[in-house]
Amino acid sequence: MKIKLENISMKFGDFYAVRNINLSISKGEYLTVLGPSGCGKTTLIKVISGIWKPTEGKVFVDGEDVTDIPMEDRDTGYVFQNIALFPNMTIKDNVGYSPRVKDLPAEEVDEIAKGHLELVKMFDRAGMFPSELSGGEQQKVALARALASGSKMLMLDEPLSALDARVRVELRYEIRRLVKKLGITVLHVTHDQEEAMAVSDRIILMRAGGIHEVGTPLDLYRNPKSIFAAYFIGETNLMECTVSGKTKTGRTVVKLRGGPTVRAAKSDFEKGDPVVISVRPEHVYTASDGIRAEVIGAVFMGVYWRIRTLAETSDYIDYNVSSNDEVPQVGEKVYLVFNKRATKVFSRPTEGLEEAIKLE
Amino acid sequence: MSLLKWINDISNNERSRKAWFSLVCLIFVIFIIIPSVFVVLKMFTEWGIVHEVFKDPVMMSTIEGAIWNSFSIAGLVTIIDILVGIPMAWIFVRKPFKGKRILDTLMDMPLAFPTAVVGISIVMFWGIPDGISIPGLGVVVSPYIMLILLHIIFTYPYMVRSLSAILEQIEPNYETAAMTLSASRLTAVRTITLPLFRAGLVTGTILCFARSLSETGGTFIALQMMGVDSTFFTGPTFIAYMKAEYGADVAMGPMILISVLMIILALLLLVVVKVLIMRFKIPVKKVWPQLGRKVSRGAVPKLKDVFSIAFLVLMVLLPTFYIFTFLTQPMADIDYGALLSATGISFLIAGIAVAFNIIFGTPIALYIARKRNTKLGKILDSLVNVPLIIPTTALGFSLALFWGSIYAGGSLSLMMVIFGHIAFTFPLVVRNIAGAVEEVDASYEEVAITLGAKPFQAFSKVLMPIIKSSIVAGAILAFTRSLGETGATIAISDSIKTVPVYIMDLIKLHNYTEAAFCSIILIAICFVLMFAVRILVNRGGNRA
Amino acid sequence: MPEIVLDGLYKDYGGCMAANGLSIKVNDGEYLCVLGPTGSGKTTCLRMICGLTKPDKGKISFNGVDVTNMPVSERKAAMLSQVYSLFPPKTVYENVMFSPEIKEWEEESAKQLVKSMIKMVHMENKVSAYPIELSGGQQQRTALARALASNSDILLLDEPLRALDARLRLELRKELRSLVKEMGLTAIHVTHDQDEALEMADRIAIIRKGKIVQIGTPMEVFQDPATPFVANFVGRSNIFLGKIRSVCETCSEIETDIGAVIKARITNMPEGTDVAVAIKIGSTRMLPIPVPTAEKPEPEQPNGFFKGRVERVLYEGATITIEADAEGIGLVSSKLPNRKYDDYKAGDEVMITWVPEKASVFEIPPEGIEEELRLD
Repeated sequence: MKIKLENISMKFGDFYAVRNINLSISKGEYLTVLGPSGCGKTTLIKVISGIWKPTEGKVFVDGEDVTDIPMEDRDTGYVFQNIALFPNMTIKDNVGYSPRVKDLPAEEVDEIAKGHLELVKMFDRAGMFPSELSGGEQQKVALARALASGSKMLMLDEPLSALDARVRVELRYEIRRLVKKLGITVLHVTHDQEEAMAVSDRIILMRAGGIHEVGTPLDLYRNPKSIFAAYFIGETNLMECTVSGKTKTGRTVVKLRGGPTVRAAKSDFEKGDPVVISVRPEHVYTASDGIRAEVIGAVFMGVYWRIRTLAETSDYIDYNVSSNDEVPQVGEKVYLVFNKRATKVFSRPTEGLEEAIKLE
Repeated sequence: MSLLKWINDISNNERSRKAWFSLVCLIFVIFIIIPSVFVVLKMFTEWGIVHEVFKDPVMMSTIEGAIWNSFSIAGLVTIIDILVGIPMAWIFVRKPFKGKRILDTLMDMPLAFPTAVVGISIVMFWGIPDGISIPGLGVVVSPYIMLILLHIIFTYPYMVRSLSAILEQIEPNYETAAMTLSASRLTAVRTITLPLFRAGLVTGTILCFARSLSETGGTFIALQMMGVDSTFFTGPTFIAYMKAEYGADVAMGPMILISVLMIILALLLLVVVKVLIMRFKIPVKKVWPQLGRKVSRGAVPKLKDVFSIAFLVLMVLLPTFYIFTFLTQPMADIDYGALLSATGISFLIAGIAVAFNIIFGTPIALYIARKRNTKLGKILDSLVNVPLIIPTTALGFSLALFWGSIYAGGSLSLMMVIFGHIAFTFPLVVRNIAGAVEEVDASYEEVAITLGAKPFQAFSKVLMPIIKSSIVAGAILAFTRSLGETGATIAISDSIKTVPVYIMDLIKLHNYTEAAFCSIILIAICFVLMFAVRILVNRGGNRA
Repeated sequence: MPEIVLDGLYKDYGGCMAANGLSIKVNDGEYLCVLGPTGSGKTTCLRMICGLTKPDKGKISFNGVDVTNMPVSERKAAMLSQVYSLFPPKTVYENVMFSPEIKEWEEESAKQLVKSMIKMVHMENKVSAYPIELSGGQQQRTALARALASNSDILLLDEPLRALDARLRLELRKELRSLVKEMGLTAIHVTHDQDEALEMADRIAIIRKGKIVQIGTPMEVFQDPATPFVANFVGRSNIFLGKIRSVCETCSEIETDIGAVIKARITNMPEGTDVAVAIKIGSTRMLPIPVPTAEKPEPEQPNGFFKGRVERVLYEGATITIEADAEGIGLVSSKLPNRKYDDYKAGDEVMITWVPEKASVFEIPPEGIEEELRLD
């Protein structure tokens, strides 16, 4: 199903939860709406699924204006953050709910319920009640229930945030595999950037009721267009500095606090412009010369060590060391260099860097 | 300060906490539970005189009639309450609209009115009693129907409140989920929300049923005004009538019999009701998608809302407030001395009862709320309901027998009345506080003690400020309930004249205008007092 | 600051053993994370330390002193709850002042202390705000300041970051740990999030079904798991089942059910034992098998244990995850640095391999491997 939003706004009292959203989603796309608490992401999918009617704007599904169609006639699968399985029904009755309220014959209801339970590998639990299942299992059943409505459009409202971290990781891959197999259009809301990166074809980064940036996980991570996107998606080192010139090949040269200069990616900034550079930890290396820094901590992150340093520029700069390599001691002096192609330059925000990356 | 410090310190000792709690439980059992059901024991010791009653066919048929009236009226009233209460609860919980707060306050009004006053008001509204110049509708002449209309007034708020409380706890996402799965709103409610509703239905049913069974003052007055008080009986009015007409000693046999019957039948019926409601399955298999959609949209739901609100206004509020039409009449001569002394006694009784209940009810409420799943928690939880289910007249009678069997002297009647009022208001206070405590996450107190607070400090400095307003609400409810009670008072003592008893006496003498004005004065005092308490408490610094 | 010893604790909640012989020794000034899935008994463990729950059996001691029967308020073990539990009718200042006030400390020094704590958690601008007006992160910070101002020696953290946004969680991990370290407290932090535990803990205790399964530094737990569950819980692992074929000096060889032979670290289990081999997905290598071209009709084949076909490549930021289907074995995942993204695409044939020392070998547990690997 193709979905299109035209100038969608939703107002609660005087407060715009979302404002002026325009968006098209193609058939079979897995789209994630990512953003911090209160950015309007849940409002957006509630409007798309018809649970709320937008105060302004229109929603189109396959070219047809559905703005005024009530939710029970929309045929949109919806999975809730708090799972919301019907506690008075067995797993099978939960999954068979939609075909049943459509008054399909009993055998057909049975068949649909069984089929969808098998799809999420929960058939052996058919006769149990929701309270007898673990959180992850419940959410799988909720997914089956939403899919059993025969809908080609699925809304996932923070489906994993009530679950244990490890279950979350397992389930996100499972969900993606499943919906891709079925060719369903998915809108998945989350505040977890890692989750968004792992499952999406495309991410919509929202902030304060508006769309901040849109792109594939690769685009957003490699080429963010704003400081907020660079900071929110993946970890990064942000440093305030000033443009001091350009190389012959057009790379920007910036001067950090305290004097050291580094080369960064190409940009249109002129000499003297106040800017911020962003470089991800995996693009920071140690060398025999570069920015002087003192190691202040080393944290084991599984596949690698994250080394935190305090640089001569008074910035904290993090970098990674593979778990096979030797880990520097706290207090050790190191010299840091950046991968210049991966060092992004942004204009320095007038409201201040802290405000620009504020999460709440 | 040093006393407080002492309490803080001993609260840190587990053994002294246990000792205090055991004391509270002991008081609860000895002063409240045992006296309430003492009459059952009495039936066995006095089997001789009870047996006499069986040989009197006229008496037996009167008793049977009274019991039938009581239970059938209570049943019908409860069914009506359920039918109109469910849509009303929906309006309160799920629908934001202008004037909701006002409606919310208005709904509790009938609870704050002494039932005797409501009795007068309703007969004036629906019937045409002799000796009153204010016109009524004059449509109801059957005492049976009049009592149903009367009992609806003070049971309806209980039903709506219990249903709302449960509805609030039911995840609204269930309905939304059902609707995204193509169910119409009606189907969603019928298949998902209603089946989850049973707990509320049980509480509501118990409260309504018990309240209707208990009601004496308003019922007696209504019957009297209709002139049928010596021919038409309910259980409680029968006890009151027998006592007034023949005296406690002569009528002992029938009174014991009817009290025991009411107590046992009430307990039995409520168990049956509970089992029935929990077992009953709302048929969810069959659906009608088209019909469901039709009635879920447009005019039907609107009509339902209008009907619900109209019911509240026409059947509950208007009849209750009809007594104020007396304000258009010339002021009657009021015996202020008698009224004042009756008011004084009423306030004294209610005040002591409420204070006692807060002190001894709070520990029990805390235990029920925090340790509901332990054995003792479950036992206390059901024991607390006992005085609520027993008709207050029977309770009062039983209590008088209990204390009478301990002290033969008659000078203790005021104290016995106070005990009576403590008993039937105890559940109200405990239920309210327990409900409030349950809403508060236990982690507040737990964190406080890990920060070094002694258990009593955790209670007084952390929990108390959060639940303060609920305690006050519970206290006000219990206070007004005590103020309005007639049945228990007259069953315990002939000499103690509380305000409702005083008003009832006036009605007996057909002094309607004076009774009405006394009622209005009483209501005015109640409201002033309630507002004063609320303001005082809020000024205490509940800024959150 | 005290050393905490839990010695053989048992707690039965009506047939459900929340503590089943739980023993831990926490060192003085240590930051210990108790990591486990929902329902593993981690919160019970914390509640027994501060005394809110009484163990049925066993002993708890602080610095050698038995505190099993000591009242909660005297243990000097402050709890930071999952929902923060800031007292709603009190302001930020009054909340932090709670402990000094009830302990009746001298007013001036109490005020100084409270102010410095509020400053430490960067809440100076919100001193007179009520909890309801604060964001999740601010509430968390205030609760921390309140716990720190109680002059406790032990800080018990019950999933302190669970209710926060994922991104904010990352920020607060660093902040929280450094504050606790600065104050020199002994901290026990309960969590279900293995990344959080790896990043914050001095040592991690993995708890399951009321028992400690393994305790060690993050690196020990990650690289040398004690059970298949730990292998898969702390960082995802690929798990393979097979029989030990031979054990040589540097590695052991295991024959999987479909006949492929895989290698793992040495073991002292005899040949022929049914075993499970666990290898972290971050250590699982997938070597692209070159497609024959006109120039190289017979390209060099990479060495490995078995073949797989790439099903999808997920770009996850700093890393990529490749899921490959290996015939007869099922899905095998591999996590690689993001610069390798362009080397793989769906449909590619790959050879799957790893360094044998990185793969752990376990006996199949009696209740079966499925049950052992259950995450919740």
